[in-house]
Amino acid sequence: MAHIPLSPIGKPRGNVLDDQSYDQNLERAALLEERLQARRAEVHAGWGDKYKERVHAKGKLTARERIEFLKDPGSRIFEVGTFVNFDDEFPGGLKSPGAGVVTAFALVSGRWCMVIANDNTVASGSWWPRTPEKIQRAQTMALRLRIPTLYLVDCSGLFLPEQSKSFPGARGAGHIFKMNSLLSAQGVPQIAGVFGDCIAGGGYMPIISDRVYMTEQAYMVIAGAALIKGAKSQKMTSLSIGGPEVHVHQSGCADVRVPNDDVLIDCMRREVERLPTSAATFYRHGSGPMPPREPPSELLGLLPTDHRVAYDAHQVLARLCDQSLFWEVLPEVGEEMICGVGRVGGLYAGFVINRQGLVGDPEHPGKQRPSAILYRAGIAKISAFSRACNADGIPLVWLQDISGFDIGLEAERQGLLAYGSSLIYTNSTNDVPMFTVLLRKASGAGYYAMSGLPYDPVVQLSTPISRLSVMEGRTLAIAAYNTKLDDDFEIVSKDPEERASIEAGMKQVEQRIEGDMDPYVAARQMDTDEIVSLTELRAYLEMLVEASYQNTGSRRIKNPRIWSLHDLAVLVQEVR
Amino acid sequence: MANPQLFHRLLIANRGEVAVRIARACDALGIEPVFAYSEADRNAPYLEGRRGVCLGPGRASDSYLDAARVVQAAKLSDCSALHPGWGFLSENSAFASLCETHGISFVGPPAHVMHLMGTKSPAKRAMKLAGLTLIPGSDGPLQSAEHARRVAEEVGLPVLIKAESGGGGRGMKIVRDLGEMEEAFHAAQREGQAFFGDPRVYLEKLIEGGRHIEIQVIADRYGNVCHLGERDCTIQRNHQKLIEESPSPVLDEAERERTLQSAVQAVRDIGYVGAGTLEFLLDTQGATAGEPAVLRFMEMNTRLQVEHCVSEQRSGIDLVREQLLVAAGHRLSFTQADVKLTGHAIECRINAEDPSQGFRPSPGTISKWQLPDLRAGRIRVDTHVTEGYTIPPHYDSLICKVIAHASDRKAATQAMLDALAELQCEGVQTTIPMHQAVLASPEFAESRYDTSSIPGGNYAART
Repeated sequence: MAHIPLSPIGKPRGNVLDDQSYDQNLERAALLEERLQARRAEVHAGWGDKYKERVHAKGKLTARERIEFLKDPGSRIFEVGTFVNFDDEFPGGLKSPGAGVVTAFALVSGRWCMVIANDNTVASGSWWPRTPEKIQRAQTMALRLRIPTLYLVDCSGLFLPEQSKSFPGARGAGHIFKMNSLLSAQGVPQIAGVFGDCIAGGGYMPIISDRVYMTEQAYMVIAGAALIKGAKSQKMTSLSIGGPEVHVHQSGCADVRVPNDDVLIDCMRREVERLPTSAATFYRHGSGPMPPREPPSELLGLLPTDHRVAYDAHQVLARLCDQSLFWEVLPEVGEEMICGVGRVGGLYAGFVINRQGLVGDPEHPGKQRPSAILYRAGIAKISAFSRACNADGIPLVWLQDISGFDIGLEAERQGLLAYGSSLIYTNSTNDVPMFTVLLRKASGAGYYAMSGLPYDPVVQLSTPISRLSVMEGRTLAIAAYNTKLDDDFEIVSKDPEERASIEAGMKQVEQRIEGDMDPYVAARQMDTDEIVSLTELRAYLEMLVEASYQNTGSRRIKNPRIWSLHDLAVLVQEVR
Repeated sequence: MANPQLFHRLLIANRGEVAVRIARACDALGIEPVFAYSEADRNAPYLEGRRGVCLGPGRASDSYLDAARVVQAAKLSDCSALHPGWGFLSENSAFASLCETHGISFVGPPAHVMHLMGTKSPAKRAMKLAGLTLIPGSDGPLQSAEHARRVAEEVGLPVLIKAESGGGGRGMKIVRDLGEMEEAFHAAQREGQAFFGDPRVYLEKLIEGGRHIEIQVIADRYGNVCHLGERDCTIQRNHQKLIEESPSPVLDEAERERTLQSAVQAVRDIGYVGAGTLEFLLDTQGATAGEPAVLRFMEMNTRLQVEHCVSEQRSGIDLVREQLLVAAGHRLSFTQADVKLTGHAIECRINAEDPSQGFRPSPGTISKWQLPDLRAGRIRVDTHVTEGYTIPPHYDSLICKVIAHASDRKAATQAMLDALAELQCEGVQTTIPMHQAVLASPEFAESRYDTSSIPGGNYAART
């Protein structure tokens, strides 16, 4: 059958979890939600009102105001990299909220675009350590999805005192221009608006773009007046050597001059309008976007914050898929993994999620074993599913809540290393857009196998309850003190002093790992792209899936009739 | 004889007079109807000699309302299309999606359009854009109780706070005093969350009384949309329509024309396909100041309605037949210019209810059943009932609809009264005497009533 046999999987919340547990979860989640909102607000404030006013006094808009005007009315902005450098202190006690640049998916004239805007309320939009990496990460997302990339440039160059951390390396600032070049080489439209000071790197960032607009306050220079000998005596300003008068009319480094921010933003919107319209409607095949039947907001109370407490993973899918309809593929095997297809905003997406709680153990009929672990059949199943989605051009969403691979003699004998490698090979060579969500636990090789960030998903999202690490703190402490412990992981030594020291050491390791698992640590050092509330997860996925279907001709998109997924389903159902 | 241009077999996912009505159109088009029925309807007379498939137990939630079972029934019986009728799953967009993804043409609008019209604020926004007049209120969901208060002050008290995903009166609070706002706002939010999993609420001015007027439309997939005029369904008890007529005896001609045009435009704008009804409240509050009454959009029903026959009798168009053709990809078989609405039509819904017991359903066996004389062509009766039929207790108690069509309202009323006098039903209590009281009343004759009062006095209103 070439139809997509979707079926209703949603259950009302009351049938899934009792009120008391739900309310308890909500209560705990509320604190984490508040923290997320407060920290976002902190980043969004930049260096504060004083700097905002300074920007306004110059007759300019702040970076975030520019994006607000740029996006389609009523649409929302999906920021990535909000917490890069979060709480990091640089010499002089300086902080760089958002690493001084805003990177966000925004709907502009009906097309999803990547917007990269230097934050002119943070050190005049200069580049801090990790700012170049953050910009490049956004460019990579745009390149993978082939979506128009819009630069709102207002950047006084490198933050010089910290140049050693942002200038020289493989991902040093200059790599931004290599990314500009690659985007151009792949035919991804780039449009730049130059709004202010663009010195050195800031000057290079716009000019590879297909269209470059400049306001009357903007200039682009290899070196500003400050570095030019005799500039002061000649009363030379950066504007006079690199303003629109020079670059639009003499050098040709920019295309169009406009009076101010407002007009420039309007011009960028008009440019995007000239691009082909989104193909998403075509790929919806006459269907349209519809919300899940069970409200996504309930995810907040359905996922316990305590990573040891199980929940119904199907009910997570029910709150992410349109109308809570889902086609579970290969449900008969590897039941610790759930994979299948649902619509998100009217467009098909593949999902892989870890089941929680106990499942039947096929190796020992009648017995049960914990799920949220990768066993042989589950690995084989998601590997085959991932390969099929890639072959069929179905964007793939990985929802991780995984403890890792199965371990022990049986696991090694079965060759889990090899099965895992096959999965890793599959995910590494897939070119279909993949998106990874660290719902809760993302531990060990499980994080890798399910397309964690090292496997280049287009975007990896964390939630406020994500725990990302090679293993849980306690396990890691045991591994570190292995030689001091017996078979039951008890301390061997009888000497009270030594025992106390080992105990303290183990405790310290455990606490350190717990601290490192904080999603804000991961987000700060770019080990995850964004922390999103469980209540906005569906909105993020809608955006990402729609962006994946925006273009024709840039990637394989098979119609459902010719999906190889059907073959997979038929083979397992033993149809004769 | 099979019609090669259409579905060969169609599942009727409904029962009673609805099933009979759909089957009639199928028969005329050469489509083989397959009746999906519950165990409680197993012996229904209309199933005799027909192909059927049993859905499950009598309780609707285990049969007619079980989306997965109904789709499975359609697949198992090799149906290529499904007509949901009205009620049951007819406005369930997930069900419509299920049908489509399993290769069964759902006779109705696309699921996403059905969903759009099922959500309050987006639906109202779409209708406003097309030029329809709305009931004054908040533009979309309210942000806070304070926001609610501001809007209430703007539109004037009393107001209604309603759940965005609500229905059936749940999550709905009347506010007559601004002091009650805070409490009402939170209560509506709580109910919205509890019953529909959606705490969003919006505000509308409460228009008391008024008349219920609706517009019948039908559209094909290609942007052709026609209306079949309006119906006046003001005579209701507990939000249940009792008598429907067309044209409305009170609607101003200019307001009718303006709204009909906007309705057609709106239906085209949202990409609607199939038969649907836009429901309006005729707001007469400005009447004392000499202003004409205004039709304010309330909601759209994305299906055929019980009272569609009223429009069929006036237009001579078979709406079910047209629905089936449209679902198979045909263009509408007529244009607006072809639609000629003639005379006046009235429909009475006859229920097996006991007026002496507060109109409680009165199930039982019909021992005698005699239809009025249909030969003059002025009377149409839609029914699934025959003599000896036992009304099951699980479903609504409608036993037949009588539709009278004559040159004017007076003649239609008389034709209806004659028909009701001739209609014989014994064994169960019916609402026939109530209809007779209403139709014979001076209030009805002079159109002096609104949705809050039933003409015909105490008898009809007795609960």
